[in-house]
Amino acid sequence: MKNIIYILAFLFSTVVIAQNSALFEKGNTLYNEGEYAEAIDAYSNILETENHSAEVYFNLANAHYKLNNIAPSIYYYEKALQLEPNDADIKNNLSFAKNMTVDAIDMLPETGFSKLIKKITYAFTFDGWAKLAIAFVFLFVILFLTYYFSYSTVKKRLAFIASNGSLLLMVVSLILAFNKYGLDKNDKPAIVFSQESKVKSEPNKRSEESFRLHEGTKVQVLDTVKNWKKIKLSDGKTGWISADDIKAL
Amino acid sequence: MKFKKYISVIVLIFVTSFTFSQVKFEAKVSKKKLGINERLRVDFEMNQDGDNFNPPNFSGFAVIGGPNQSVSNSWINGVRSYKKTYSYFLSPKKRGNFTIDQATIVVDGETYKTTPIKIAVTAAIDKPKDPNDPDYIASETIHLVAEVSKSNPYLNEAITVVYKLYVSPNTGVTNWNEIDSPRYNDFWSQTIDTKGQKVENGTYDGEDYRFLVLRKAVLYPQKTGKLNIEPLSLDIAVQVPTNRRDIFGGRMMTTVHKTVSAGNKSINVKALPEAGKPIDFTGAVGDFSFNVTTSKTALNASESLQAKVEVRGKGNLKLFNLPKIALPSSLEVYEPEHAENVRTNLSGMQGSISDTYTVVPQYKGKYPIPKISFSYFDLKTKTYKRLSSNEIVIDVLEGPLNNAIETGEETSTGNAKQRVVLNNDQFAFIKTKTSLASVKQNHFFKTPIFWSALLLPFLVIPLAIVIRKKKATRDADVFGNRMRKADKLAKKYLSNAKKSLGKKEAFYIALEKALHNYLKAKLQIETSDLSKDKIQVLLTEKGVDADAVKDFNSILESCELARYTPITIVTMQEDYNKAAQTISLIDKQAR
Repeated sequence: MKNIIYILAFLFSTVVIAQNSALFEKGNTLYNEGEYAEAIDAYSNILETENHSAEVYFNLANAHYKLNNIAPSIYYYEKALQLEPNDADIKNNLSFAKNMTVDAIDMLPETGFSKLIKKITYAFTFDGWAKLAIAFVFLFVILFLTYYFSYSTVKKRLAFIASNGSLLLMVVSLILAFNKYGLDKNDKPAIVFSQESKVKSEPNKRSEESFRLHEGTKVQVLDTVKNWKKIKLSDGKTGWISADDIKAL
Repeated sequence: MKFKKYISVIVLIFVTSFTFSQVKFEAKVSKKKLGINERLRVDFEMNQDGDNFNPPNFSGFAVIGGPNQSVSNSWINGVRSYKKTYSYFLSPKKRGNFTIDQATIVVDGETYKTTPIKIAVTAAIDKPKDPNDPDYIASETIHLVAEVSKSNPYLNEAITVVYKLYVSPNTGVTNWNEIDSPRYNDFWSQTIDTKGQKVENGTYDGEDYRFLVLRKAVLYPQKTGKLNIEPLSLDIAVQVPTNRRDIFGGRMMTTVHKTVSAGNKSINVKALPEAGKPIDFTGAVGDFSFNVTTSKTALNASESLQAKVEVRGKGNLKLFNLPKIALPSSLEVYEPEHAENVRTNLSGMQGSISDTYTVVPQYKGKYPIPKISFSYFDLKTKTYKRLSSNEIVIDVLEGPLNNAIETGEETSTGNAKQRVVLNNDQFAFIKTKTSLASVKQNHFFKTPIFWSALLLPFLVIPLAIVIRKKKATRDADVFGNRMRKADKLAKKYLSNAKKSLGKKEAFYIALEKALHNYLKAKLQIETSDLSKDKIQVLLTEKGVDADAVKDFNSILESCELARYTPITIVTMQEDYNKAAQTISLIDKQAR
């Protein structure tokens, strides 16, 4: 009985995979023929099966870009970048899409040391850092035992230094894993979808307008009160925006 | 006598035929349906004087007035008309359906009867209406009605509102003016001209009326949900007949001002379905055709052509945006000119809207105008439909070459070789290969497996240290080592013997075999030349103690002896132990 269920589950999953790759091919063909709206439909159908990949998001964003849908194209480029943070094509096309946006927002400059730490932290995902930490643990144990069991002084010395070094690296990567985990937890980017949205100083309609945002701008969500989201721009400005105007990544 | 009677009858017939032809006797009621707090008037009319008027018993009613008798005689053009009326005023006693029975009268010896009349008495009405009040008559005979073609349309589906003024035939309207015109909030509206409308005949509530169409409007709802159509209010001067008559007998009319309004209508606007809504949908609802045309497809550079994007059909033509045409950047394109050719009638907007782009090509070459699509919601099938234009290729026959300008070469060298330059600033093409993964992710960090993989290796260190310490102490224990070694040897050679411990014959055979085997392995000798003397010599050569050799021999002897003597299990155990000890002793001493 159980086996039958497994077989069925396997067959079903392969059917879904086959369908999805067919849809992907169909979307690509339609895109190449310039039928972008139809291509979007095909790509969206893939996402509806709860499967995704950086390429699907990238192609979907390209199709939206071709139709001049600013917000959706930026949204899907960012989605693709989340999965493939170092892909040159995605970064390139995202910059094209960003050319269509209205808002010009400066990046808040960062000081040297925190910039370095951030750069190192973003080298891996927190899972990557966790795996690295475990690798260092094993290295440390092996080296320590080598130190303990070996008789020659040179070997002992080398093994001791190396084991201490890997212990240190383990601690560092563990700290970075926690740091990255915390950063990821607080990182709630969203894209402004409405053509023009008024950002208020308080989460209600009667409060004063702080500034205005336009379609396609990326913001960080800090807080939620009912139907309002507290957002922060990359230049440090904060305000409250209606939750309907943005879409979380 | 008889003759006389005939004559008189004939004369009578002659006389009466001059005046009237037929006796009429009928009952009339002021209304057939009344509230319990209202009054009813019943008239019994006859056109010839009669005797013995016998009224019905008016069951269910109380007679509060009457009988009032009135007689009228008139001569018109020498024709006499006579009318005699008995009037009763009745008040109903209870609710229900009643019948006013027949009344009888005798005219010239003949008995005539009226037809019975059914009267319905309903619950008390708020204000007993005076049937002669002109305001009451006006309110009963003038009706303003707003007719809405559809009460639950889709967003942007055309609906019509028609305002009709119904006027009863016995009243007249002399003048009217609007007090309050409806504002159609949340609608796109267009009023249709109704000047020169003729009065038509129709029915209202099953009665004959005349009506006039005052106003027609086409509405396109712009919001979903419950929307209100505000009422239209009119001030009307109504001519109402009164009871008074002028000297010619015609009824006098009075003019009453009356405010009428068509009731508030609410319509429920449905949102367009979300399922299958195309991405390029801009709100068009109706039935459309779509085409993109160019005025020419072949021309020279710096001449101009018109590209026209046109939507034609029926629907909310003025209420959506036309799709934009995306032309190659090397064509000079000017802002489009928007043209609307839309007629609005009762069924909605009809016609076409178009955007005309003026395009001036700069360089020679072929330029495709890409396909553009237009989506609308079809009300008939209640689905979204997408129309796509055909791709048009503009062929620019004569003109400068685009690349020649860029590379700064002369235009005349049309076939000059061109350097292939990689343009870094290009929009990347889509990716053609993918490996899909589930959206749901499983993280490794902070799972129990992660923590155990991180911390368990540390336990290996103390474990390894402990194991090593144990090994060192074991290595240091000399006596114990020897014991362990002897045990090992005994185990190796005497395992068979140990198995058959207790069975005398088998045990000693196995023991002897074990000892021989040991010697064979230790001294590299063949079994054939294995005599006691030889063993002694060999073992002594190997440097084995004399005592050990003696012991060894004694065990061999006892093995032989044992076959013929009774031996207890205790002795067997002793021999076994002795054998084990001796083997280990020899093993240690032999070099």
